Order: sequence, then C-alpha cells, then structure tokens
Amino acid sequence: MKALKTVGRRPRRLDAEAKVLGELVYPSDRCLEGMLWVEVVRSAHPHARIESVDTSAAAAVAGVVCVLTAKDVPGENAFGIQIQDMPVLCHDRVRYMGDAVALVAAESRAAAREAVARVRVDYEVLEPIIDPEQAMQPDAPALHPGGNILHRGHFQKGDVEVGFKKSAVIIERAYQVPMMDHAYLETEAGVSYYDDSGSLTVESCGQYVYRDQTQIARALGLPLEKVRVTAPYTGGAFGGKDEITVQIHLALVTYHTKRPAKMVLSRDESIVSHTKRHPARMWYKTGASKSGKLLAVWCRLVSDTGAYASLGGPVLNLMMEHCAGPYLVPNVSVDGFAVYTNNGFSGAFRGFGCTQACVAIESQMDLMARALRRDPLAFRRDNVLHKGDRAALDYEMKTKVGAEATIRAAGRGKLYRTRGKFKRDRSEHTRSMAPYIKRGVGVASQMQGLGLGVGLPDYAEVELNFSPDGAVTVRASTSELGQGAYTAYAQMAAECMGVPLEKVRVVGADTKTTPDSGTTTASRTTYAVGNAILMAAGKLRAELDKRAVGLEGISVRETFHLPVADVKLGDGLPHLLYSYGTHVALVEVNTLTGEIAVLAVEAYLDGGRVIFRTGFEGQSEGGVAQGIGYALFEEVLFDRGRFLNTNFDTYILPTSMDVPADIRTVPVEVKEDTGPYGAKGVSETCMVGVTPAILNALHDAIGVRFTRLPVRAEDVLRAVLERRR
Amino acid sequence: MKITVRLQINGAEARFEVDSTERLVDTLREKAGLTGTKVGCGIGECGACSVLLDGKVVSACLVLTAQVDGAKVATVEGLGKAGELSDLQGAFVREGAIQCGYCTPGMLMAAEAILARYRRPTTEQIRKGISGNLCRCTGYAKIVSAIRKTAGRRAIQRSGR
Repeated sequence: MKALKTVGRRPRRLDAEAKVLGELVYPSDRCLEGMLWVEVVRSAHPHARIESVDTSAAAAVAGVVCVLTAKDVPGENAFGIQIQDMPVLCHDRVRYMGDAVALVAAESRAAAREAVARVRVDYEVLEPIIDPEQAMQPDAPALHPGGNILHRGHFQKGDVEVGFKKSAVIIERAYQVPMMDHAYLETEAGVSYYDDSGSLTVESCGQYVYRDQTQIARALGLPLEKVRVTAPYTGGAFGGKDEITVQIHLALVTYHTKRPAKMVLSRDESIVSHTKRHPARMWYKTGASKSGKLLAVWCRLVSDTGAYASLGGPVLNLMMEHCAGPYLVPNVSVDGFAVYTNNGFSGAFRGFGCTQACVAIESQMDLMARALRRDPLAFRRDNVLHKGDRAALDYEMKTKVGAEATIRAAGRGKLYRTRGKFKRDRSEHTRSMAPYIKRGVGVASQMQGLGLGVGLPDYAEVELNFSPDGAVTVRASTSELGQGAYTAYAQMAAECMGVPLEKVRVVGADTKTTPDSGTTTASRTTYAVGNAILMAAGKLRAELDKRAVGLEGISVRETFHLPVADVKLGDGLPHLLYSYGTHVALVEVNTLTGEIAVLAVEAYLDGGRVIFRTGFEGQSEGGVAQGIGYALFEEVLFDRGRFLNTNFDTYILPTSMDVPADIRTVPVEVKEDTGPYGAKGVSETCMVGVTPAILNALHDAIGVRFTRLPVRAEDVLRAVLERRR
Repeated sequence: MKITVRLQINGAEARFEVDSTERLVDTLREKAGLTGTKVGCGIGECGACSVLLDGKVVSACLVLTAQVDGAKVATVEGLGKAGELSDLQGAFVREGAIQCGYCTPGMLMAAEAILARYRRPTTEQIRKGISGNLCRCTGYAKIVSAIRKTAGRRAIQRSGR
C-alpha cells in the first residue's frame, strides 16, 4: 500500500485558529437585528395536572411581544427521536421539572424573564413516581398511555443454570449508577429567522440537522422544505444535544411573530431540561470454572428513563447487548427494563448504555479474577471474544475483534508491567503520612457498538466539489461538536484526492447546503462520512478524467450505507462493528481523609486506523476526564423528582486538579476492512472503560468493592472505618 | 438609573451607559460585541468568562460593570490576530489543546495570568492556575502542555535578550 501523506498525521484542526482568536461564532453568540429573546416557563412540579394557564399578566409586561402556550402549536404538539411522547408545550399534564408550559418572547431578556415569573399556572399536584421498581407495578399510576415500561428485553444464550452448576466461583452483586449530566460548556442555544427564500431557519446546537428539521416541521405543520436547520459548531454535546432542545421553541416564536428570535438556556435550566445519562440498577450473577473460564452471566438491568422516551429504548438495548463485555460466555440470561418515572429525563450520552453495563461486568470480572487468584488481565485475555465467536446475545462476531490486542498491549504497558513499583511509591508523601496512603492499579476492557445498529436507517451522503483552482470542498451534514471530525474528513479528502490539506474545506450541518450524512453520534462519523468521501472521490476522479473542470468546478454526491448485522434482535440491536479498549488506572487513597486521586491512566484503544492523531488523543484524554467524573464526582440528585444540584457549584465536574497530568493513549490499530483507510471510531470507547478501571484500582488499593457511583471521599472513609472494626 | 463607565478594553478606550446590575460579561458580549468571552454557568464556577481585569484573572460574570470604572480589561480578542497568533494561541493550536473551543478563550486568559505570575511554572502550578476553568472535552493534558511550552519559549526569549 502506498504511504499515506495526510491520514494518520497531526495536522492543525481546521477550526483551531478561529477558536483561539475567539472569532468562531457559536449558537449562543449569534445576534440578529430586531431579535426577540425567548424564555421558557417550566413546570413547577415533577408531576401534576395543569388546570389552567393564565398569561395575561405576563403579556402585559413592557416589551413582551407574545406568550405562547400549547394551543399555539400549529402542528403535532409532540416530539421525540424515536417515540413522539414529549409535548412541545404541555397542555394537560407535566411529567418532570423541565417540562415547558409556555414561551415568552420579548424585546429584552430581562423583560422575558420578568414575564416568565408572571405566567400563572394552576396545577393539581400529583404524587411523583420516583422508583422504577414501583413504577413497574401493575397498579402504579401510568405516566403514558402504554404504561410505565417504555421498553423491555429478554435474551438468552445457552442455559445459565447449567453454567452456574459447573462454576467453581460465583459472584453476585448489585450495582447502582447515577444520572449524569453532559455538562457541555455551552448550554443549549440558537437563533431563528425567516431567510431570504422564506424558509423558517433555525441555527442551533443539534447533532442531526435533518432530524431536527423533521421534528420542527412536524410540530409546526410545515412542509420540510419550508424549514432550514443549521448546526455546524457547538460548545460540546456528548449526546445531550441529540434530542430537540431549543429548536422547536425558537421556530414557534418566529412562526408567530415573523421576527428573529434567540434562546440561550441558563445552566440551571439546561441541567433541569435536557436528557441525561440513564441512572440504572444492575443485578449481576456471574460464574467461572476453576481453570478460569467464564461459564455464565445472568443480569437484570433496570434503567430509569425519566419522563419521556427519547432514546431510552435503544440505550437499554445497548446496555443488554454489552452486558457481558467483550467476552465469550456460553450461558447468558439478561432481562432489561427501561421505565418511565418523574426523575428528569434521560437519553443519549457517550457510551449509550455500554457505560452502565461496563461498570457492572468489569467489576464482576475483577471479583472473579480475585476469587480465582488469577491475574485480572490474564483472566480477561483468556475469556476474550474473537471473530467468529458468538456474542452474549448469541449472534456471530463477523468483523475483526481488537479486544485481545488491547488487553495484550495494556499488559505490555509501563503501568501494568511495573505496577508493584507504582503501588509502593510514597515519595510524594511525608514519613508520617505514608502509612495512611494506599495505592492500587485496576484494569477494565470494553467493546462499543459503532453506528446505529441493525434496523435503523444509517447512511451518510456527502458532496465533494473540485474547483478550477484545485481546491476540494467536502459537504456533510454532521456537526463539529469538538471531536475534530471535520479535520479528519479533510484529511481523508486530501489523501484520496491527492491534494494538500490546505486545499480542503469542510462545510457542515446545513439542511440547505449539505446532504444528509446522518447523526453525529454513535462513534460513527469518521467511519460513515469517511467512507462516503472515499466513494465520492472515486467518482470525482473518474469525472475529472472525462471532462474539463468548468468555472463552478465539478460536484459529485455519494451515499454510504453502513453495513449491519444479518440478524435483528431489536431496534439498533445488534451491531456489526465495534470499537474496543482496555484502560489501566493508578489510584491513590488517603485512608485518613478518604480522598481519592487518580494518578495515571493508560488507554489502549482500537478504533481501527487512526486518521487524526491529535484528535484521537484528545478524545481519549477527555474520555478519561469524563470517566473520572462518573466514578468519583458526578450525580444529578433529586428529592422526590425535584432537582437538587443544577449548577457547577453543586454538580461537580473534574477540574485540572482531578485529572492526571499523566494520561497515555496508545492506539491499537486493528484495521477495519470496511473502514475508510481502516478506521472505525473512538469517541465512546475512550470513556467507557475508565470508570470501572478506577473502581478496580480502588479495590486493589484498599480491599473494598464499591458498587454505587460516584465513590466519594466519605464513602471511602466509611468503608475504611468499617473494615478496621 | 444609567451609570457611565469608561473601560480600556484591549488597549482601546470605550464608554458604556449601564444599569447598576449589568455584568461585565454582558457589557463585553452585548455592547462591545466581544463574544469571544463566553458564559458557561453564570456563577463563577466554570471560568468560560475569564478576562484580565487590571492584570488579574476574574470571572466576568461576577463583576458588575459599574464597579470597574476606569479599569483595563483584556479579553481573548486582544491576544492575537488572524495569521498573527500570539505564542500562547499558537501553542494551543499546535498541541491540540482545543476541542469544542468554548472554554478556550477563558482558558487562554487564565494561562496568561499564570505566565505573568511565574517565569517557569511547574506542571502543578499550571494545573492549579487553570483549576478555575472547566473543560469538558480535552481532559486538560494538552492545555497544560501548551502553557508549559509557551513558558519555556518565553524564558528562552527573555534570556536571549
């Protein structure tokens, strides 16, 4: 194969200069002549019936242009990626604190906020449903017409009872993982206006402009072509901007007032209103033979999807799909439930169900290795899946499986190989403190489905233009959330068109000027858009051979359809392609104070061939930070459906002091045959294994198994004191 | 009641008529048109609105414009220009210290404050110096490295003089 010139290198990000200059215009920076500020009246209760809404006092506030309620929604008053069960504006009932009851549009933000406080809503307060187990009972009050179970699944492979009978070691534990906020630094924001052609245009922060367009058009009763959505750049998303946030509300105001409008959610409003990572309870029973072979995995997974569906069903499906990790298990039984409650509202978040399951199965793997007195990495390696094996849900793994390669690479790494030395080191501490310091090293492996999975439309169309001056323009509708995908697209386009990177421009996320490239989710964009770029480049080169480049250049379009598994077990279930990873973490515990410090993390990631090396490392390092947050800090807290921590003073994110300076990312480049230049994706697998690696390192350090996240200093201290007793 | 406030923003004199409750970040973004300074939390926790106020790094969401009449304000827009990035901006670009970029302007201002305070900051001093600036994308490692390398380059320049 010809040596690659651009792919696999470390170019500067295409958007880097604009970002360091403060010149890149984010949705929250947009400002339009004569625009109205839009604010939302949100529910005062986690669960209530709306008796009446009186907007007269609000409408009388100076500067208020309109106050809109459910009756002002001209189309279908419902949205949702999969099931449209969420009202644009609630008319009879509210199901969580983020529910929108009315919109205020005013000449200034201050006037809009004042008017919000004057909208009078009379409620009949209902008992909130806060416990998923109770919500599943047949006599529980139903939050939706179909009852409180949004989705359930049962899968079986072999016979777990037989597996447990043969097992020398059986481990049973229950795990609880919290609701997590995406905490992107830019809250949901956007502007709306009628463009010159009369299209109702929404410039916003979403992750899939074509689906946003559909959802806006449906709610407003407009034909698709009358709605334009753009979302090229936003200040982080991580899945939390996949569902509609501000888009329909903005469109509604412009539709009624014919004026430009702007919305920027406050942080509190952002945390209360957008989707979250599903909190879950997971009961696991796993068994292995004396010789260290996994024999059975039984689990029951209950995810709290909150008030509305969003992607709660598919998230549960992925939780079930990944319930046994990247391991070959002859006997599996999994039951999953996604349940409606009044606890906020959950949906897509980096890892998408794998994150939760990985915490449980990787803890089980560690406990089994301990019980068998086996090396935890060797135990994983001996049970790892290979191509041709049958996965937990009993389908064949038909593409290359890099799990073993990541485990072996981790074993060769400095942290694991010389873990004894790292664990003994007390050089940073005084002699009097040293006895109270404990260190541990933990590992975790995982796999992560790439793409939307079987049964869901999953394709990417791109347009390539070659202009007379030799410049190449890539048009794709995915968004640049920070992950660096546009740079990877440009690298691939430069490589296959044989032009320098400086000659490539990427135009993104606009329903008017870019073709439908699918969602910016599921670790899919480098793979999917990359493949479409390669196809289009082939066509473009053929065109260039045939005819001269005119003044407008030559444009071609191609669509890549993601290959999928040949069995369908559910929506998005299973996948054909997976990314793999093994993480190693070194933690230090101060047993006097309970403080935990993550000192170093090594990430061995198989995302196929790396296209944009700096971006790959950046994803990994950011994934480590989020994995630390999930393990040690982050939890959205509720009191009977009411949010308790809605800003960064009480919802704690990892700072530069909490993330180790020492993060080592090692790409394990198992080239994917169907990938562009052998690439897959890495943006989820880079985070998921971090959390259980930390839990396993904590166990190694102080001999305590934590089964509830986040593990806080007080939890450590309590556990240490209990052990001393 | 409106209050007249004079500020020197990135070296240029400016005059604003503000309400007593107007935040400096809103004056900068909405009146001066300097949207490089961001708002992430509104309560001084995230650092996205970090600017230098008379050389000291502050959260512009916690400063009332009326309180700082006569002050010098430095924002990201004053650091460099297209094609003429400052050394620090260049280091952020080269190191890959940017992802979504929303924390970047505030992070750059916090970094300038660190570089003004220490001639050769240690990794720990840098980590501490940016601990008031949240980044959700990068994991901080490349940001720390960009600041460290800039400090090194500035030290060499100083000694060369």
